[in-house]
This record gives sequence, C-alpha cells and structure tokens, in this order.
Amino acid sequence: MIEFNDVSVTYSSTGVDALNNINLTINDGDFVFVVGESGAGKSTLIKLLQKEIDATAGQVSVNGFNLTKLRRGRVPMLRRTIGVVFQDYRLIPTMTVYENIAFVMKCIDAPKKYIKKRVPYVIGLVGLSHKASSLPEELSGGEQQRVALARALVNDPQLLIADEPTANVDPALKYGIFELLKGINACGTTVIVVTHDLDNVVHFGGRIIRLDAGNVTIDKVVGGDE
Amino acid sequence: MRATTFTGLIGQGAKGIWKNRMMSFASFCIMLVSLLLVGLTLLLSINLSRIVDSLESKNEIVVIINDGTTQEEITSLGKSIESLANIEACNFFSRDEAWKSMVENMSGDQKDLFPYDEENPLPDTYRVQIQDLESLNTTSVQISAFPNVEKVKSPNEYAEIFINIRNILTLVSAAIVITLVIVCLIIISNTTRASVFSRRKEINIMRYVGATNSFIRIPFFIEGMLVGVLAGLASLGLTKFVYESIYNLVTSNSVKIFSTIGLTSIYSFGDISKYLTLAYILSGAIIGALGTTISTRKYCKV
Repeated sequence: MIEFNDVSVTYSSTGVDALNNINLTINDGDFVFVVGESGAGKSTLIKLLQKEIDATAGQVSVNGFNLTKLRRGRVPMLRRTIGVVFQDYRLIPTMTVYENIAFVMKCIDAPKKYIKKRVPYVIGLVGLSHKASSLPEELSGGEQQRVALARALVNDPQLLIADEPTANVDPALKYGIFELLKGINACGTTVIVVTHDLDNVVHFGGRIIRLDAGNVTIDKVVGGDE
Repeated sequence: MRATTFTGLIGQGAKGIWKNRMMSFASFCIMLVSLLLVGLTLLLSINLSRIVDSLESKNEIVVIINDGTTQEEITSLGKSIESLANIEACNFFSRDEAWKSMVENMSGDQKDLFPYDEENPLPDTYRVQIQDLESLNTTSVQISAFPNVEKVKSPNEYAEIFINIRNILTLVSAAIVITLVIVCLIIISNTTRASVFSRRKEINIMRYVGATNSFIRIPFFIEGMLVGVLAGLASLGLTKFVYESIYNLVTSNSVKIFSTIGLTSIYSFGDISKYLTLAYILSGAIIGALGTTISTRKYCKV
C-alpha cells in the first residue's frame, strides 16, 4: 500500500515546487496510470517512492515503510519490494539477457539454485526464452523493454513502476507491453505506469492520476475498451 | 552475505584491476615509490636509534684524578660522582691497574719501549657509565666541577652527531610519511573514481534493485586493497635489494670507519624481515582500502 499525506517537494537548488500538498492512497493490487505533461511532477513522484529524494513536507509510506523515518541503511530493503522498468531500459550492454536478469538477483544475495530456477522462468514469462544468450544490442526495442520488465519482476516485487514503458517501442508492440503489465497486475502486484500515451490509457482503462504543475487534478477510475 | 557471493565480489575486485589497468598501474607505481621511500626512511631512523643505543651502552666518561690526591679524597670524589642523576656505574681504576692493563695489551716491540722498571706515568681514574647519552655534556661539566678532577674525557662527538641526525630524521620522516600517504590516498581515490565511472550502469541498477552499500563497495575496496598489497610486496623486494647493498657496504671489513663510529651495529635484513613484510603489506592494504573508501563513500551512495 502506498500513502501520500500532504506531501510537498521543493527542489532547494532551483526553488521549484515539484509537488504541492499531495494526498493519495494506492492499495495493494491496484493498476494505476500516472499521466501529465513534462514537468508536472511524475518523475518526482517516482523518486519519492524509491526514496531517491525526501519530501520537503508531509509523509510518504510505501509497502509498509514509513519513508519519512526510514534510515539510509534500510533503503535497500524498501527497494527490494519495488521493481522499476526504465524508459531507456538501462540494460548492461556487456551482459546477456540471462546475465542481466540474474545480476539483480545476485545483488540481493539470492541463492544460486534459486537464481538458476527463477531467471529462465521470468524470461519465459516475457516470451524471450530463445534470446536468453543474446546481448542487449542484438535485441529490438520491444525485446529490450521485455528484458527490462523481466528484470524488474525477477525479485518478485510488491510494486512495479514502469516509467514510459512504451516510449521507445514500435506502436505495434505497445499493446503487448501493456498486456504483460496487466497480466502481472492480475497476479497481485501493484502496478504504476507513468505515461504520456493517453490512447493506451483509454484503451486499457484503470485508475488514472493526472498531475498538473505538482497538483493532482484528476484521480478517477475509467473503464477500458476491452 | 553468502560465502559464494563474497568470493564473487573479491573476483570482481580483481577483475576491476585489469579492466582499469592504466589507472591501477599508476596507483601501483605511486604506492610502490611511496612505500619504498617511507620504508627506507623508517629503516634509517630505527638504525640510527640502534647506533645511538649502542654508543650509549658503550659510553664511558673517564675522570682523570689529580696527582697526589689522597685515598679519602678519591673515595669522596667517587661518592660525589655516584650521587649525580645520570650515572649508571662508577668504577675506580687505579694507576697501577691501568699500567698493568696497558702492558698486557702491548706487543713485544711496544713492551721494549716501556720497560717495567720505569715510573708509572698513568693517573688514577674513575670510569663512569651514564644512563642518557643526551645529557652526557651536562654530566661531564658537573663532574669537571668536583675537586681533584684534572680532566673529564667523554667520547661524545659521534653520539651528538647521531642524536642530531636522529632528531632531524624523525621530523623529516614524519613529514615524508604524511605527505606520501596523502599522495597515495588521492591517487587511489581517483583510480577508484575512474573504476566507479566505468561501472556506473551496473552501480545504478544495483542501487535500484536494493543492493546494500557494502555490496556495491566491496569490489572497489578489494581492488584498492589488492593494488596496495601488490605495491607493498614489490616495494619490499626493492627495499631488500637497496638495504642489503647498504648493509654489505657498512659491515664489510674494508671500511674501518664504520666500525669505529658504531655503524656496524645496524640491523641485518634478516633481523627485521618479518616485521618489514608485515608493515609493507599492512600499509599497502590499509592505504589502498582507505583511498577506495574515501572515493566510494562519495560516489557509491545508495
């Protein structure tokens, strides 16, 4: 569960108010689209969720961690409950698909046996079993996005954040990515999708949170076309 | 942390040296030269201390007593000398004993020059051993002031020179050690920074998936420590070569002056090799690890 209580963020370096007095609750298992123009506060919201930055005012709580009181040393424990899919994928170019995904399990000291079992499973889940030995440069944009998704899922996070997951993907593959995210959500994982892509939002439906100049202007559930 | 994970991180650290070989080599060279200079300076310092100690242990002031001094006056003088603060031992050496000892040490030809029936020309003396060589002058002056003392002989020239060199060297070596350690830390820290930069993508991912600070930093720490240990070992080899060359020169019989001024009492490399090995490896490892820590604390924050 995610809770924002009267949360404001002002960047001290620029004096910009990125978020103003936000109040939000996202329940476990929700599927949420966060939409808004550039500079609306979407990235700040994601940074807050991962405790990359701290709120200037108010309280943030994510997956049972009170981020206002969370000590630096405990931040890795919070992040182990969150999977992130980056807009630019951020795959390690010198590692194969398998190694990229196994790497994040090694980072949290997962047992070798479990890694050997779990990695092929998630690669299969995103439909890339035949590409397990390929390097990122040998994959298309859509395939790289699916690897990034598999990597975000492999540690079985409670919350999955996808930052513009379809921004660099061929239009024909966009639906496939959203279908995958919906499937993950159906298994109980909370999914937050940050996107500009309103067509897909309308098509798939779900809870939409719209940010404008750091304020929540819309927070409602819409039905999809499906 | 699992043992296999830990050994994996050590492997990553070792690989990091190769990946970042130019900077690692630069760090290695700087540390090698620094440790060599620091080591040789410290060796010089401890050997000078040993020479001074050796001179101190041999040091003897010879108090020459006026001719015609009575036995009571001689005994009184002995008590006065013993009452001084810096006195280790004070032994009377009569003119007859001195004569006998001198004659016994003479060769046949020399004995002919000093026939036994000649009058003994030697004076009565006190042989005084002192505790602290640095106060030798003061003690000599104090004894000279006693009645019936003709002269005080103290072989303090070398001792004073060595004490001065030792004192200056202590200051110089401290300055050298501090400067070189700082240089090493800066170089290692920059090497680590380059290493962090080359692995920034991995580190970024590590941060997002919940790797702990120690997990991210250990490979760099190992990398810095390994470079330090390797530089320490290479430096030890060079020190051995340089030191043994000097030792052989100083202790060889061909140069008599060294034994005269007590230089032959310096340590052989074998005497101190255990401590040196430990010191070089530990210093290398500590400087390497510390330099890395400074850099990773700045650039590898979770």
